[in-house]
Amino acid sequence: MVGCALAREFSKYELKTVLLEKESDVCCGVSKANSGVLHTGLYYKKGSLKARLCVEGRLMYKRLVKELDVPCTLCGKHVVARTEDEIKDLERLRDVGEANGVRGLTIISRELAKKREPNVDSLGALYSPVAGIVSPYLFTIALAENASSNGVNVYLNTKVTGIKQVNEGFRVTTTQGDFTADIVINSAGLYADRIASMVGIDQYRLYPSRGEYLVLDKDSRDLIGGMVYPVPPKVAGYLGIHLTPTIDGNLLIGPSSEFIDVLEDTRTTEERILELMTEAKDLLPNISLKAVIYAFSGVRSKITPPNEKEARDFIIQEDLVDFINLIGIESPGLTSSPAIAKFVVQLVKEKRDIRRKKDFSPIERKTVRFNETSREKQSSLVNEDPAYGEMVCRCEHVTKREVLDALNNPFGVKTIAAVKYRTRAGMGRCHGGFCLPKIVEILEKEYGMAAEEMTLKNTDSPLFIGRTKDLRKKGV
Amino acid sequence: MCDLLSRNIDLIVVGGGPAGLAAAISARKEGIKDLLIVERNNWLGGILPQCIHDGFGLIIFKETLTGPEYAQKYIDEVKKLEIPYIIDSMVLEITPEKDVIVSSPKGLLVFHAKAIILAMGCRERTRGQIRIPGSRPAGVYTAGVAQNLVNLKNFMVGKDIVVLGSGDIGLIMTRRLTFEGAKVHVVAEILPYPSGLPRNIQQCLIDYDVPLLLSHTVTEIQGQNRVEAVVVSQVDENSKPIEGTQQRIACDTLILSVGLIPENELSKTCGVDLNQITGGAVVKENLETSVQGIFACGNALHVHDVVDYVSLEAQKAGKSVAEYVLGKQRKVKRIQTEAGNGVRYVLPDFIRRNVDLELFMRVVCPGKDKHIGVFDGKKLVKKKKFRKIHPAEMIKMRLKGSETKNVKALRVEVLEK
Amino acid sequence: MKKEMICIICPLGCSLTVNYNQKAIESVKGNQCERGLDYAEKEIFNPERTLTTTVRVKNGHLPLVSVRTNQPFPKKLLFDAMDLLAEIEAEAPIKIGHKIAENLFNTGVDVVATKNVERSQRDH
Repeated sequence: MVGCALAREFSKYELKTVLLEKESDVCCGVSKANSGVLHTGLYYKKGSLKARLCVEGRLMYKRLVKELDVPCTLCGKHVVARTEDEIKDLERLRDVGEANGVRGLTIISRELAKKREPNVDSLGALYSPVAGIVSPYLFTIALAENASSNGVNVYLNTKVTGIKQVNEGFRVTTTQGDFTADIVINSAGLYADRIASMVGIDQYRLYPSRGEYLVLDKDSRDLIGGMVYPVPPKVAGYLGIHLTPTIDGNLLIGPSSEFIDVLEDTRTTEERILELMTEAKDLLPNISLKAVIYAFSGVRSKITPPNEKEARDFIIQEDLVDFINLIGIESPGLTSSPAIAKFVVQLVKEKRDIRRKKDFSPIERKTVRFNETSREKQSSLVNEDPAYGEMVCRCEHVTKREVLDALNNPFGVKTIAAVKYRTRAGMGRCHGGFCLPKIVEILEKEYGMAAEEMTLKNTDSPLFIGRTKDLRKKGV
Repeated sequence: MCDLLSRNIDLIVVGGGPAGLAAAISARKEGIKDLLIVERNNWLGGILPQCIHDGFGLIIFKETLTGPEYAQKYIDEVKKLEIPYIIDSMVLEITPEKDVIVSSPKGLLVFHAKAIILAMGCRERTRGQIRIPGSRPAGVYTAGVAQNLVNLKNFMVGKDIVVLGSGDIGLIMTRRLTFEGAKVHVVAEILPYPSGLPRNIQQCLIDYDVPLLLSHTVTEIQGQNRVEAVVVSQVDENSKPIEGTQQRIACDTLILSVGLIPENELSKTCGVDLNQITGGAVVKENLETSVQGIFACGNALHVHDVVDYVSLEAQKAGKSVAEYVLGKQRKVKRIQTEAGNGVRYVLPDFIRRNVDLELFMRVVCPGKDKHIGVFDGKKLVKKKKFRKIHPAEMIKMRLKGSETKNVKALRVEVLEK
Repeated sequence: MKKEMICIICPLGCSLTVNYNQKAIESVKGNQCERGLDYAEKEIFNPERTLTTTVRVKNGHLPLVSVRTNQPFPKKLLFDAMDLLAEIEAEAPIKIGHKIAENLFNTGVDVVATKNVERSQRDH
């Protein structure tokens, strides 16, 4: 997300900008697996980059989500106290928030909290009215596609293997060839420390911390009105397992927090699943675990070592001339991302005279989300284009036209995941039971893909080993 | 509602699978002229065209047919009777006033229906719903999806397979994949007994030396991008994994056959009461739901194991719908049925007295030489002996009108002695 | 000799205990009908199964046609039959009952289509 926000921000200037991504699509790493929450700035030390960029970033969202046609809503948040001591913690949070310029924070009584969130038991709560939720992947993809529309070349499946300082700037060696750049911005998330050390910047070390989530059926959405958070546990930078409605109408439980050894170990575990279920029931006794439809996890890029009590700040600095590092961009990374992008551009501007483009086009219009339009509009869409009339995803009501548009994305990504994150097909309660064979048929008939070419998320995740008769035919 | 033009219609049948087809045929034969079958797949027959194995039709046609052959008999009849149908079309919403909104390549169609038959079938329980920990690679398929891909679309899902669930679908797919050259390393079943029919254990597992691990489940999926292995563990009597019993089995595919769930999203949109145990609609003996004029049958009502019974149930629904539409339905008092000891559910939920009817039920545990009793309070109304009972097999019990003459309520139980 | 087996003739799936010698069946226990006796004999001396599978289609509106053997077929030849059928491409249009392969391995058993496949609209 940060990388795509940066790409879009730089695309406003007369600069040749490229975005290098090692995965098969944008938004495959940290950005894909998070709560989708727009924070207001309750948790961060006054004067820190986190505090400043979170507050700035959140204010930028209103316009951005309109320009990029990304769903977003301010559903509000209650941080609930379940012990008397926690009421004091609420007051502390409110004070921190107010010092950071957050408005509207109120501590409410047990009775009022019960009225607002009838299914939650608490002794009182801190209400934050302007906390919001957004779709993290739609936002990231829209940023990338808008950057691309404005001239940024997005190179996928392009892993950086080395960076060398040369006369002309930096020679960046990748699995898809070399690039020579005047300026390098390192927003490599979990790998940012490794990228930095490629040019001799060795002082950074990241500690991957996995967070697991449970996704509940849309039927459970109405159990809460807005977000419900516990008082943050006394663990550096960790906000605790919370309940978040998603912008699409599901309910998320999570994330957990656990330091791990292997960087991209995005497994879900028995222990954490149990922990999430227990914590959720503690906050929301009416929650039914039968409503769980999916579990996923993501890995945070943490700069704070496990034994430190207080969370360290974002590191966004030019450690080497024209080489800007973004290290440890975890929560509130999502909220801060547009502000981070502006901040980095400002760093560049301080040294170079870069001009704004006259023809930057901020608007990126997506395919109409059929399921979210009125019946009248749906009718006219189908009349114009019969592909809107054929349902591919029965749970989320995603049409063939939306699936085709997703596959026709500007990056040429034709994986099942590319369709899933752009359209929601496969995210419903049956998790691909109806849509997978249909999407496979579309890949075959509309794009002429061979069986072996169809993948879940990248070339190492083929769906099939071939055609049905292949294992029996002679010579196989 | 909305501003679109709606057309009046006597009957909408939601679903063109075995239930929908049989219901429509029966409704037409009973006199309903203005009806439409709405099917979201590209074909009629529902799940049957992919069920290429035989064993269908033993009861109705007295021969063993494959799924596609069974479906064709009904498709031919639909065409002969000139019953209208649309494919690639899905009902998006049904209102309590019986407006039906259909999305179709032909347009967004809105009908104001006198009556509706809910025959949407069921969906499969997913990995996410049973919360198997581990990675989320390619190669995890529910059995029905694998069956669709292998049998209809000509895609081979993998070659080293582990199957979780010994229900009939899992067993059938074990055999199918073995035939197409894959190796099924093991079938794991969380219960201490197989979920599917013994004949399928014979002809799908024993015949091909596929080991069956009872009281086991998959406790982890491994492989970042494509399945590389699964870990199976033994479970205790509460189905909880036993520490230290983990076994890693290298494979490239995990097939899940872990249960079917009647699909009732539409039932919710039109306010139909749902039975919490079956997941399907609460119905009377004429298969009418709690909303007047809306009927349910087939797997959408309760998961069946024999398609012939789906057709017979749907036929009954078609008759009842015709009675309703033609104004012949009479108001009657009904009593409630209840699932007692050892019975998971019994349908219909409400029945008339003094008429011959059938009760359909499923038991909680397998058993041999058991009696099932129908009680009115403490009084035994009827009792029937069964050589074998099994949760995987639907049990029917006929009740004569004379047997329910003055009963107040009915409870069905598996008798202990 | 003794063998335990499950009869597959009908959904009852009776558990059979069969005593036999090299030449004949000595006794069958557990069957609930006469078909079970026939099944036991066949199963010991010449086990047979109905094979149901798919065959690739050329120029059809579907890529595969589902097929079955029109009679029970020797169990020991099942995988050979699968290999043979994998090499066949049946030409559309195909009707239910249409012979896809005849007299497999000289057993007198044919393989017939169980689904109708129309000719494809597209040019090939």
